[in-house]
Amino acid sequence: MEYDFPNKFQVIVVGTGMVESIVAAACSRIRLEVFHLDYSDHYGGLWASYNFEGLQKFIKEVKTNPSMKNVVYNLQEKWYINEDSSEEESKQDSEDHKTDDGKAEGTKKIWRRADFASEYRKFNIDTTPKLLFSRGLLVELLISSDIARYTEFRCVTRVLTWLNDKLAPVPCSRADVFATEAVSIVEKRMLMKMLTSIVGYNEEEMNNEFKDWNDKTFKEYLTHKGLTPNLIHYVLFAIAGGTNSMLCLEGVRECKKFLMSLGRYGNTPFLWPMYGSGDLPQCFCRLSAVFGALYCLNQPIDSIQTKTEEDGKTVVELKCKAKTLTCDHLVMDINECPKELLSPEPEEESSDISRAIFITNETIMPSEKEPLTLLRFPPLEEGGNAVTVLEVGPATGSCPKGLFLVYFFTPKVKDAESDLKPYAEKILNLSDGDQTETSDKPKCLWSLYYNVKDTNGSVRSGIDNVHVCRGPDAALDFDRAVEQAKEIFEKICPGKEFLPRSYRYNELVFEDVTPGPEFQREDEDADGDKQ
Amino acid sequence: MAKTYDCLFKLLLIGDSGVGKTSILFRFSEDAFNISFISTIGIDFKIRTIDLDGKKVKLQIWDTAGQERFRTITTAYYRGSMGIMLVYDVTNEKSFENIKNWIRNIEENASADVEKMILGNKCDLDAKRQVSKERGEQLAVEYQIKFVETSAKDSLNVEYAFYTLARDIKAKMEKKQEASNPPGGRSGAHQLKANEQQRKPTSWLSRCSVL
Repeated sequence: MEYDFPNKFQVIVVGTGMVESIVAAACSRIRLEVFHLDYSDHYGGLWASYNFEGLQKFIKEVKTNPSMKNVVYNLQEKWYINEDSSEEESKQDSEDHKTDDGKAEGTKKIWRRADFASEYRKFNIDTTPKLLFSRGLLVELLISSDIARYTEFRCVTRVLTWLNDKLAPVPCSRADVFATEAVSIVEKRMLMKMLTSIVGYNEEEMNNEFKDWNDKTFKEYLTHKGLTPNLIHYVLFAIAGGTNSMLCLEGVRECKKFLMSLGRYGNTPFLWPMYGSGDLPQCFCRLSAVFGALYCLNQPIDSIQTKTEEDGKTVVELKCKAKTLTCDHLVMDINECPKELLSPEPEEESSDISRAIFITNETIMPSEKEPLTLLRFPPLEEGGNAVTVLEVGPATGSCPKGLFLVYFFTPKVKDAESDLKPYAEKILNLSDGDQTETSDKPKCLWSLYYNVKDTNGSVRSGIDNVHVCRGPDAALDFDRAVEQAKEIFEKICPGKEFLPRSYRYNELVFEDVTPGPEFQREDEDADGDKQ
Repeated sequence: MAKTYDCLFKLLLIGDSGVGKTSILFRFSEDAFNISFISTIGIDFKIRTIDLDGKKVKLQIWDTAGQERFRTITTAYYRGSMGIMLVYDVTNEKSFENIKNWIRNIEENASADVEKMILGNKCDLDAKRQVSKERGEQLAVEYQIKFVETSAKDSLNVEYAFYTLARDIKAKMEKKQEASNPPGGRSGAHQLKANEQQRKPTSWLSRCSVL
C-alpha cells in the first residue's frame, strides 16, 4: 500500500480515542486540514470495543507490549468452562444442529469455549463501557452536530440498586413509583418535595441554598431533610451514585443530572449505544473524514519535536515510518506523548480505574423483555467506593443470543480483582461448576479483570501548539471527554463554532423536504420497546 | 408526519479509491455526472426513493468518505447495512484483485446476511480495459454474488444495479417475515432526533405530579 499524502497539515491528531476523535471532527468541520492517525490497526485506543477474537489480541498485546503495560495492568482472564475435549466437541456439534433447527426453548444452551470462537463476531465487548445521560453533554452534541445519524441507541430499561442484601429496582418513571411497594405514600411525598427543590434550583440559587452545606456530606443533608433510611439509600446510592462521604453540592448536581434526563427517551435517564461505546469515537471520525480529514491506522510515531520555521512560526514535526510531517497543532493521546514534551510539575493525582467484564448465561434479574440494566452498588465496606454495573444483552449487538455481558467499574483502591470480585460474587455465580446446576444467580462463563491508568498531565510551558488528551475516567458518562475536547478546540481555534450542524451541507433530499435529519426510524416508540 | 415510504434500506458503496463509487452514487441519486471528483470530500450519503412492486422503498446510500484510501473504514460504517455494492474499475486490475479483500472486510464487519453485488465500473473506457467482463462474471460466480458492468458516465446499468440489489433485499426480508422470524434483534434501537417531540413533560416532577 502506498502512503502518498501531503506532509504539511494544520492539525495532526494522534490516537483515535474519544477526546482525539471529537477534536478531529471539530477541526475538520471548520475546514482545517486534519491528518488523523493511530499506532494501532483499529480505532478507539482505550475506548475501543472488540469482538471476542479481537479481545484476545488486546489481552495478548497488553501482556507483551511494554508501553501498553503501563496503561493497562493487573489483567486477569479466567474461563469458568473446562477446556473442550475433542470427543465432547464432536458430540456437541451434532447436537448443535438439532438445537438450531428445533429451537429447544426452555432448555439452556451449554456453552463451550469453541462456541465463543465460532461466534466471536457477535461480540462487541467494550473496554470502556459508559452510558449517556439523555440530556447530557454528549447527547446534545451528537444531535446538534448531526453525528447522531451515524449511530443508534437503546434505552436503559431499568436502574437497580443493592438494598438489604438483594437487588431492588429503583423507581424512575411514574408507573414505577406507583408500582413500588418499597416506598410508602408518606415517603413518596417526602421524596417529591426534596427532588422538586433540587430540580428547581439553577446554579446560582443552588449555591445560595446550599451555601451552609459546602463542607458537609450529601447524606447529612438528606438526613437533615428528614428522609427515611430507605429514601436516603435510593437518592444517595441509586440516583446520585454516591457514597456516605459524597459532598452535598456534588450529590445535588448528580441528582439534578439524573432527574433532568428523565422522560426524554425511555423510562430511565440513560442511553446505551448500539454495538457498544466503542462505536462512538468512530462516528466522530466519520464526520471528520466526510469533511476531508485524512485517516491512517498502523502509524507508530517515531519522534516528535517543535521547530521554529524561518518566518518565526512554531510548528510541530513528527517522524513516522520514514516520513516527516509538520503541523501547526498537534493533538495527542497523553499516553502516547513523549515525556520531554510534558510538564515535570506533578498534576493533581486522579485514581486509576478498576474494571471487570463477565460473560454470563442469563440476566442478573429476570424480566419480561430483554433488560438493559444500570446497577449502582453502595460500598460494601465503610469508606470504600461505589461500584457501577452495566448489564447488556444480545439486543444491543454486544453478544450472541443466550448470553449477557456484565461490566463492573470503580475507582481503583487495590487492584481490579480485589476491588470488584466481592461485588461480582453478590450477583453472579463465579464457581467452576456445571452450567446445568440450578442457582439463583447467573452462571459466569468467562471473566476479565484489569486496571486502567488515568494519566493526567499537561504540556510543558512554552509549547502551546501541542495538546494532550486524557484517556477514559471512571465516571458513568462521557462528560469529561466532551469538555476536554471543547477546551482543546477552543485553544486551537479560539472563538470558532464547535461542531455546528452539517446535514444541510451534505444531504440532498429529493422528496418532500421536512425539517430535521432524514435518517430516523419513524413510528418508533420513543420508549424503545416496540414489539 | 405522514410516512413517505414503506421501507428504508441502508446500502453501502465499497471498493478502492478512484473506481467511481461517488460517480455511481451521483448518477443514481441525481442523474448527474461530474468528471471532477478527485477524492471524496463532503459526501456522506444520498437518498432516493424508488418504487418496487407498488412499495415505496427509500434507499439511503452511504459513501466511504475517502476512508477506503488507507483501509481505514470504520467498523461502525457497516452497522445495520442491508446491501453492499462492491465496485471495481475495469481499467484497473488492482482494484479488481482487491474485491476479494473487500469481501473479507465485509465478512468480518457486516451482518452475515447482507446482500452484495459486484459492479465493474467505467465499462465505457473499452480502450483502457484491463479486466474482461468474463473475469468479473467468474469472480461473481465464485462468491455467488450478482454482477454487472456499469458506466456512471454513460448512465449504463446504474439504475439496474440499484433496483436489483433493492429487490433482492426486499425478497429476503419478505421471506424472513414469512418464516415469522421477526427481523434482527435491532428493533427498539433508535436514532436521536434533532426535532424530536417531547413525549411527556420534561421533568420527573411533572410526571409525578399526582403525588
